[in-house]
Amino acid sequence: MVKQFMSLEWKQFKRASYFQKGLAIKILLVLGAIYFGGLAILLGGGMFFILRKVLPEVDPIISINNFLVYWMLFELMIRYFMQQLPVMNIKPLMLIPIKRNTVIHYLLGKTTLSFFNFISLFLFLPFSIVLLAQGYPPTNVILWFVSLMSITMSLNFINFLINKSNTVFYVIAPTLIVLIGLEFYNIFKISEPVGIVFNALYNNPVFVIIPILIMIGMYYVNFKFIRKGFYLDDTVSKKVKEVNATDLSWMNRFGSIAPFLKNDVKMIWRNARPKQVMMMSFFFLFYGLMFYTQEIYMEMPAVLAFASMFITGGFLLSFGQLVPSWDSEYYKMLMSQNIPYRKYLESKWYLMVVAVTVSFILSTPYLYFGWKIFAMIAAGALFNIGLNTFITLFGGALNRVPIELNVKAKAFSNTNGFNPTQLLIALPKMVLPMILFYIPYKLINFNAGLLVLALSGVLGIVFKSFFLNKIEKIYQKGKYKTIAAFSEKK
Amino acid sequence: MITVSNLSKAYNGVEVLKLENLDIPKGQSFGLVGNNGAGKTTFFSLLLDLIQPSSGHIKNKNVLVHESEDWKPFTSSYIDESFLIGYLTAEEYFYFIGELRNQNKSDVDNLLAQFVDFFHDEIIGKKKYLRDLSKGNQKKVGIVAALIGNPEVIILDEPFANLDPTTQIRLKQILKDLASKQGVTVLVSSHDLMHVTDVCERIVVLEKGEMVKDLSTSEATLKELETHFSN
Repeated sequence: MVKQFMSLEWKQFKRASYFQKGLAIKILLVLGAIYFGGLAILLGGGMFFILRKVLPEVDPIISINNFLVYWMLFELMIRYFMQQLPVMNIKPLMLIPIKRNTVIHYLLGKTTLSFFNFISLFLFLPFSIVLLAQGYPPTNVILWFVSLMSITMSLNFINFLINKSNTVFYVIAPTLIVLIGLEFYNIFKISEPVGIVFNALYNNPVFVIIPILIMIGMYYVNFKFIRKGFYLDDTVSKKVKEVNATDLSWMNRFGSIAPFLKNDVKMIWRNARPKQVMMMSFFFLFYGLMFYTQEIYMEMPAVLAFASMFITGGFLLSFGQLVPSWDSEYYKMLMSQNIPYRKYLESKWYLMVVAVTVSFILSTPYLYFGWKIFAMIAAGALFNIGLNTFITLFGGALNRVPIELNVKAKAFSNTNGFNPTQLLIALPKMVLPMILFYIPYKLINFNAGLLVLALSGVLGIVFKSFFLNKIEKIYQKGKYKTIAAFSEKK
Repeated sequence: MITVSNLSKAYNGVEVLKLENLDIPKGQSFGLVGNNGAGKTTFFSLLLDLIQPSSGHIKNKNVLVHESEDWKPFTSSYIDESFLIGYLTAEEYFYFIGELRNQNKSDVDNLLAQFVDFFHDEIIGKKKYLRDLSKGNQKKVGIVAALIGNPEVIILDEPFANLDPTTQIRLKQILKDLASKQGVTVLVSSHDLMHVTDVCERIVVLEKGEMVKDLSTSEATLKELETHFSN
């Protein structure tokens, strides 16, 4: 039976339209997977030595045990936002004589092959090997590793429950938030008892039985949960959500673009994919930490200019590049309606401007790194508002890949809304601020670089209607092609 | 109201639609029938400028459809589910369309009030996103949305499919009234010969992209259509 399921899956995979897209994308995806996999392996292998260097007085295994709770939280969060749950096409399976239990076991088994389970494996396997090579007791290390893997699996199953059951979500999410808050303000450090638990796991290999039992328990709970809801209108198929209607009439003050703006806000709020993009763009805010903390980058202001643009540009880059695609599901309707393209584009423009502004406000803590850095972020934000928005909208006109709004993007298996043109158009978005900053910086000085970067943005704002007109023309020219591409069945 | 001249549409050299001359006067209820692949949806898509004609043109109230967009304010349509915005509730969708067609909230509410029967208590105030409605209810929303903003031309692709019998009967009445009382030009396609003969004063039969019959509806029309399609 399982063999037949596998062959169905394989066909689904092979015949899916995204698989039949260009070779270039496939190569890129494989490279991406190798890159991140390799990064994880390197990090896992190097972690021991890094920890020994940073915290010489503590045994690396103890430091890592103390940190594990953060990793688990991080993993759970990433899973919640990124992991695509296996929604099998159960309708045809319900009518033919297969035991329900077989289908469910298969469904759950499939989740164990998720990319997200391999991150942990890639991280902790090399780490454990290094431990062994360093002469740590094999039983302890191996069983500790088994414990971690069991916990990863448990997280995998917990994530399924969180996603599928509102009760579980409303219990777990606030608990986590409270715990993180307490930890952050040093009221109660949950990481300490958890650290003790992990250390105990390492020191007493017998305890490995506990995570394994938890994993089996979680599997069982999931099994029960799905078994109960194994009907078309339940768990395994799509979920019907009750509407949370918010009054957005205050947005009417935006005049003629208000209807679009209101719609866009609802679109982002009520669909899985744009929500995910929102979440991702939030992470961009922390991008600066990677650069501003490193001495070497301080000598490379062009790189800093790039990083500063990134901090406020998260939403702009990730949302903006898919601009007409967000409306692909009902594009035909928009095109037959009494809609000025201009207003449609303008609404998207405002959305991006608001996002950049909010990111800029949120980035004020970067003041910690000094005024110079903050001025750079400000210049980057101006560039984003004034030029990057238009480049992004222009790039969107060349992007004709439909998006399924209410489906999360799968890591490394879904290229919906992604094509090589986007990569090409992404280049100027990233290189341009570097050039704009670097040339005057080299010729005159640091402040001149800042000024040029900021001025380029201001110029963009001044010539807003000129740019929008040009972009509108391009969108109009591609109208039929876009409609045809968007109505292609996935 | 609508004039078609020398219109053709070809994909990769294969002609899927070829209409030499077709005149649809204002206030006519016009029915389009034909088997799958006869070119009904292609014709409607051309009318809405969703695809480009290979040759010829359509004029909608003297506006060249593929050149100007001035036909949009007085033309409305419902072709398929891709005309709905899945993440909105029915009310939100109606108000959105209303805003696009310069109707304020109370205008839309007034219009909706006339369709309480039609909705059968399954659409308004249901707190459901359109994507979660049944096919039939989605269609009801789409059709009513096409009536917002006093359009002069309404284009509906297979409006009767997926609807329950009660709604079909109500819809027929609505469409008849639109044409006869308000002078709206209604274009409808259907696979159900009985429904089109009931609703439309004029019926055109398409076959492989060409017009093979142009009938003005009478007692005998249904019989004639049935004989035509049984061969």
